[in-house]
Amino acid sequence: MSKLLLDVTDLEVHFPVFGGVFQRKVAEVKAVDGITFSMNRSETLGLVGESGCGKTTVGRAIVNVLRHVSSDVHIDGSIEYVDENGKETDLISLSQSDMRPHRQKIQMIFQDPYSSLNQRLTVKQIVSEPLEIHQLGMSKSEVSDKVFWLLEKVGLQPEYASRYPHEFSGGQRQRIGIARALATNPDLIVCDEPVSALDVSVQAQVINLMMDLKAEFGMSYLFIAHDLSVVYHISDKIAVMYLGNIVEIGTADQVYFAPTHPYTKALISAVPEPDPDKTRVHRTVLKGDIPTPLNKPSGCAFRTRCPIARKECADQVPFLETKKNGSLAACPYVD
Amino acid sequence: MFSKKKSSTEIAAPLSVNQRRWRKFKTLKRGYYSFIILVVAYALSFLLPILVNNKALVVNYKGETYFPAFADLFGIPSFHSGEQFGVVGETSECNYRKLNEKLSNDASGSYVIMPLYPYGPSEDINVAGNLKFMPPMTAMSGIEGRLLGTDDRGRDVFVRMAYGFNVSLSFALLLALMEYIIGVPIGALSGYFGGKFDLILQRFVEMWSTLPVLFLIIIVVSLTAPNFFLLLGLLVFVSWIGIALYMRAEFLRERSKDYVAAAISIGVPTHKVILKHILPNSLVPIITYFPFAIVAGIISLVSLDFLGFGLPPGTPSWGEMFRLGIEYISQNKWWLVMSPMLAMFLTLSVAVFIGEAVREAFDPKTFSRLR
Repeated sequence: MSKLLLDVTDLEVHFPVFGGVFQRKVAEVKAVDGITFSMNRSETLGLVGESGCGKTTVGRAIVNVLRHVSSDVHIDGSIEYVDENGKETDLISLSQSDMRPHRQKIQMIFQDPYSSLNQRLTVKQIVSEPLEIHQLGMSKSEVSDKVFWLLEKVGLQPEYASRYPHEFSGGQRQRIGIARALATNPDLIVCDEPVSALDVSVQAQVINLMMDLKAEFGMSYLFIAHDLSVVYHISDKIAVMYLGNIVEIGTADQVYFAPTHPYTKALISAVPEPDPDKTRVHRTVLKGDIPTPLNKPSGCAFRTRCPIARKECADQVPFLETKKNGSLAACPYVD
Repeated sequence: MFSKKKSSTEIAAPLSVNQRRWRKFKTLKRGYYSFIILVVAYALSFLLPILVNNKALVVNYKGETYFPAFADLFGIPSFHSGEQFGVVGETSECNYRKLNEKLSNDASGSYVIMPLYPYGPSEDINVAGNLKFMPPMTAMSGIEGRLLGTDDRGRDVFVRMAYGFNVSLSFALLLALMEYIIGVPIGALSGYFGGKFDLILQRFVEMWSTLPVLFLIIIVVSLTAPNFFLLLGLLVFVSWIGIALYMRAEFLRERSKDYVAAAISIGVPTHKVILKHILPNSLVPIITYFPFAIVAGIISLVSLDFLGFGLPPGTPSWGEMFRLGIEYISQNKWWLVMSPMLAMFLTLSVAVFIGEAVREAFDPKTFSRLR
């Protein structure tokens, strides 16, 4: 029934750090350090983690825009994309021109609705751009009909099409971004913290809009966020990242209600409880800061803050293994 | 600012960023009026051959009509000797002022219509009947007074200044435009592609910028005859660097913004990312720099002319007039140095006012001291 859409294997993204008189490479930021996951069609995968753990980098690696921001970036591993006909393509090795036909099917929604829309273009120009680039054989009037239809779908009045982004609120801008991503009927939309720059009330509207659109069009979301309750609300599966690695991955219910990895447990226990009468049973409070990805701890990266860390953790790198509740977690000392 | 007439029932038409900037620019009165003055003055300066000239607009002689000043306006070479119009013994270019007097006295029906201010920028003192060193607005030995007097060769100072305005501003505009044509693409590519390309290009630019401009100009000018376009080329040769560095910095900053990543993730080809997405967003410093580039251009031309390495001798230019003024400053010929100085002061002030207002109009903050 559910078909494979995306298979990420051992994805590594390292940004070089230059220093010294001759600007030689002196270190590497291991933003993503070998992660593996897969997504099925019409499935939403939530990717959570602290700031700087590499979630955004994973999303950008999938839409293949990293090389344009930093030309020296080192990317390794494979990102297999399976199209409707079952044809597999490794997106990592593709050049800009080879990637273009696939861009139609893989779109992205950005975190900051203020900087992700070009100030100089009207809403219509922004939303119609993907349609024009991929030349779907539409006439001018068809393109503008489609733009109006898309704007209506995301809850904006079609009359807004001739306006400029600065005339909209944050939530409205994010809707424009969603309309742009929807334009070419994608299979996968990478959502890079699409609601974290918005007010809580607007967050709920946008999340519900995204879920409605998914129910209607059946695409997949890779939903990147740091807000666990939002991720649980929208996701079928959740992956938890820490310092460039996935520490736990499982269905939303497994991860949210029966976390196994000590980091996931700490994250879940930190989710605010909306009912003031309920007292929290226990809270795991992590001590210290997240280590710098420039100089990651040896062995298990989490050991410096782990409540159950032992001496052996410094030597062996834990790998994902199936736990009692059915999820995969990267810690040999929990079950 | 908050007028009650504009009630909420009036639906604001969507304004693009540039429309809003233009509106704001219009509210900055000093800059806006300076802009109008400079544009009108520059446009008028192209009509100088028919406004201010020693050649007649129309000569009607024995039933035939001639238009010597219009020939000047369109750059058509024309020559009418004095003998052609019945001035015996005048084989050189006709002195139309004298011809006018002569024809208005006889009753042959021939006539001459002179321009508004009937003096030319490079009259020959031996032919034109001018006097040296006439002070401003003073008639001397039967010769009508001139607006700003005459110089050491009897040429009218006001006329030379007016023609010099056109030469200076044209030079500065062309210089700025050519700087932009070369500097903007180089800076844009350097900033957009970054990495090794940028590294190599920047080292090249650094070496290029150490070229001693003044020596280069002195050497080239002493080897060949200087002209307008040679000087322009020499100055562009080095001055594109400034704008290239500006543009590179803008592109480096804009490239990392999300809308660029969005454009790439949609599949927009690289040339379109640069031209349609980044360039319109990087134009702010480019546009605000333009009036100041003009100021710099005028100053460079005037200094080169002053030093004698500028436009060929005889061209009406402010720098050359300055040099003349300095030469005679001890002989109380104050108008020779004051006139070009005042002209330059006014032109540069107006350009700076425009520059300030443009910068202000591009500033998103509303309140300012320039209102």
